[in-house]
Amino acid sequence: MKLDGEHVFHGPRQAVWALIRDPEALAKALPGTESLTKLSENEYEGTMNVRIGPIAGAFSGKVIVSDEIPPESCTLTAEGKGAQGFAKGVGRIQLSEQEDGTTLMRYEGDVQIGGKLASVGQRSLDTVSRSMIRQGLAVLDQMLAARLAAQAAGQADVAYAKPTETEFAAAVAKDVARDMLTRTRQSHEGRLLLLIVPLVIVLILFAVLLAQCQG
Amino acid sequence: MMTKYVGQRIKRNEDPRLLTGQALFVDDIQIPGMLHAGFLRSDYAHARIRRIDVTKARQRPGVIAVYTAADLGDFWKPGPLLVPAPHSIPGLIFNKRTQVPMAKDKVRHAGEALACVIAESRYIAEDAFADIEVDLEPLDPVTGLEAALAPGAPLLYEELGTNLASYVRQEKGNYAAARAQADVVLKRRIVVDRGAAAALENRGYVFWWDPKTQQMTIWATTQAPIALRNIMAGLLGLSESQVRVIAPFVGGGFGPKIMLAQPEEQVLGWATLRLGRPIKWIEDRQENFLTTTQERMQIHDVEIALTRDGKILGLQDIFIHDTGAYNSYALTVPLNTQTHTMGPYEIPNFHTEYKVVFTNRILVTPVRGAGRPQGVFVMERMLDVAARELGLDPTVIRAKNLIQPDQFPYRQGIIGQDFTELIYDSGNYPATLQMAKEMIGYDRFVREEQPRLRAEGKLVGIGVVCFTEGTAVGPYEGARVTVESSGKVNVATGVGTQGQGHFTSFAQIVADQVGVKPTDVTVTTGDTEKFHWGTGTFASRGATVAGNAINAAAAGVRAKILKLASKVLETPEQELEIVDGVVRVADIPEKSITLGQLAVIANPMRGSVEPGTEPGLESTQYFGPKYGATAAGTVAMIVEVDPDTMLVQIKRFVIAHDCGTVLNPLIVDGQIHGGVSMGIGQAFYEKLVWDENGQLLNANLGDYLLVRATDMPPIEIGHLCTPSPLNPMGTKGVGEAGAIPTPACFVQAVENALAGLGVEILETPLSPNRLYELVHG
Repeated sequence: MKLDGEHVFHGPRQAVWALIRDPEALAKALPGTESLTKLSENEYEGTMNVRIGPIAGAFSGKVIVSDEIPPESCTLTAEGKGAQGFAKGVGRIQLSEQEDGTTLMRYEGDVQIGGKLASVGQRSLDTVSRSMIRQGLAVLDQMLAARLAAQAAGQADVAYAKPTETEFAAAVAKDVARDMLTRTRQSHEGRLLLLIVPLVIVLILFAVLLAQCQG
Repeated sequence: MMTKYVGQRIKRNEDPRLLTGQALFVDDIQIPGMLHAGFLRSDYAHARIRRIDVTKARQRPGVIAVYTAADLGDFWKPGPLLVPAPHSIPGLIFNKRTQVPMAKDKVRHAGEALACVIAESRYIAEDAFADIEVDLEPLDPVTGLEAALAPGAPLLYEELGTNLASYVRQEKGNYAAARAQADVVLKRRIVVDRGAAAALENRGYVFWWDPKTQQMTIWATTQAPIALRNIMAGLLGLSESQVRVIAPFVGGGFGPKIMLAQPEEQVLGWATLRLGRPIKWIEDRQENFLTTTQERMQIHDVEIALTRDGKILGLQDIFIHDTGAYNSYALTVPLNTQTHTMGPYEIPNFHTEYKVVFTNRILVTPVRGAGRPQGVFVMERMLDVAARELGLDPTVIRAKNLIQPDQFPYRQGIIGQDFTELIYDSGNYPATLQMAKEMIGYDRFVREEQPRLRAEGKLVGIGVVCFTEGTAVGPYEGARVTVESSGKVNVATGVGTQGQGHFTSFAQIVADQVGVKPTDVTVTTGDTEKFHWGTGTFASRGATVAGNAINAAAAGVRAKILKLASKVLETPEQELEIVDGVVRVADIPEKSITLGQLAVIANPMRGSVEPGTEPGLESTQYFGPKYGATAAGTVAMIVEVDPDTMLVQIKRFVIAHDCGTVLNPLIVDGQIHGGVSMGIGQAFYEKLVWDENGQLLNANLGDYLLVRATDMPPIEIGHLCTPSPLNPMGTKGVGEAGAIPTPACFVQAVENALAGLGVEILETPLSPNRLYELVHG
């Protein structure tokens, strides 16, 4: 399943690159992240708790970073599996500077899911994954803003509290409700496509997050 | 013989037990020391197995054993071919690849078992899955039928060098010549997709090897207990007399439960022999979607050749059939498609050929209808296309081509699922069409109601579809009928029962012969200790094949009763009658003896008997038809399509049906209702959706839509009776009748409702979404 998308960060590319290369920052951006271990220079292992509709459980994932061209782009190969199934994807992230000083992140990738995640979870996967991405990107936006403000004020360190699980769950519920109102016209095939896309984005975010351990 | 009970609308003997929860199902079996099995299944549709490490799982408290394919040693081998391929068809290709007990080296469909955990409880067994390390190397899966045959496609069986499982070509007459003479030749591509059988009760087994008695008892949700016993005994190296299979009440068969020596059965049988303890495994709904066999996926390229006035000169149907990852049930389904495409119509020239492909999905084996709905769908769609092209009324083009009542027996000239030439034994097809049209008020609807409703902006349509149902195939069934000293009668037969009402219809047959009430007849089905010859419940054959065996055995008992009573009452047999359990002299009713008393006399405890005397009032008989009886009918429905939501409401549903002699109209009605519900599901709700990685995306009853009670229309049934000459009772089967024509009729009616919108529907199942796409592009 192919996917692509983009997001605008309000800050210079170097700052965005530094942010997405910072594992702690990304761990905060993705709720449910339990652990991150660096296996080798470009290989990471981590565990994440995910709840997608009736499917809940720990997924252990592995990420490989390759073709890295700082501060422009990198390729991420992610694989996660747990008792409830598996997901794996390959994605490429590209950052480009824009004239107004913002940074455009483009991503594209390919993903597979299997097991209960696919056969039981697909109905909610769509919405939950998109909600996770939306929230993850929102957190990154805020962190970026905080960092830039700190820089401007001449401070070295930035404190940032990640959203609690409750806040996250509430945001998911809100997104699910919003989705139910807007999604009725989509065809079945369209829905299937839509549900895969966000999952890949999650995976990529997850991968980016892990990639930061090396930096 | 005069019948008092056969043909009567009698309430079912078994229902009080079923309705009050007193009926035994496999999951009710509780045995002290019983263990529970869980199967760890592959998340991948196609993968090479690099390593499965169960060491940790074996150490979990409560786990008794964990097995993988490697642990099975020499026992691991591809399972039996359950149905032979019809090699009488010239040029037939059949690459046998039967289901294996557990995946070894390679996984060929998502859900295939990788390991079996046997534990003190199912909870522990499933918890132990987390302790098992599985290393699979994913391979590109084969999910499309045409993609399976494309050059460079990934292969399920590398050693075959192809995903082609089979090729069959049959020809009646000369299609090419017929085509050359035709006024009109029409060509279409028609697709029928997959659905699930979705029985209320999933598969379930208890396997118990008792080391002290050296006996294995198997409780199984099987449609073929005797065949299961024979196959399991053979696989496990036991004598058939050491294995007893009991199929208790089963919550729906619908075809998949005819599958024998399924992976779970093989592993449980092997494991209980080693552990010496009973083991239970009950399939959960998720497993049912992923591992119980399914049906229907076919892609047809069809061509029909006609004269300008609508007479069919010939038909050519070239199709691809999906068998899934294995082909243990050989070619029954696509053969049925071939033999039912011509249906009730006279098709002088018929070219039919198909390729069967292996794909990375669960096996395809018969599901209620078993290939017949696809054949009927193809034929009926082409007739509708032709009617439109030629400007004929759909019922006129059908009537014009129906086989007439004086043409029976009608030879169809191609080989069917019983490997003999397809011959229609009897029928009156024009009468079923006429009856259905009258019941639904066809002419008036088309002339008056439809234009009026259309003018009100309502999208209403009508469909009329004719069909045949090949039923009651051989080889044989048997039965034993015994009159007890209590005067009650026992019947034992080998077929299993899954809700067909056998306890009543069989009792009615015996009651008439032996002269008792149906409630005094106890029927035992599906216990190999009670009767150990027979084949099974499939192909709508129970009532006809087992029914006629029971009729013969009951007639045998009747003869014994009359002979003995004649002696006891000192009256010639022809002057005797049996009424309500009493044999009496017809003219002197007080001169009588009860059946119970006769049974005692027939089984003397002391003294001597004449040489050659058989004890008791008992008879065992068998019945096997020369070939299968062909039932038929016409179904008609009126639908209304909501223009905004594209939801379809069935306003009326009518079926004129002819299954020969009707044993119990209530039961026949019930069979038709059940079939219709599956047919409606297949028409509009039940579609299994896979992604391109071979993942089933709706493997749950939340996303896979079964027909609900509120989706069911009232069903009006007209019974016609053309007795079959192939058996003494004149019966034909009816189990699949409702499922066979319903999708074709539904689509015709919807298409008619949408007339003027330029929609031609060449696929099933539909859905509101799909209809919306067809209408709005």
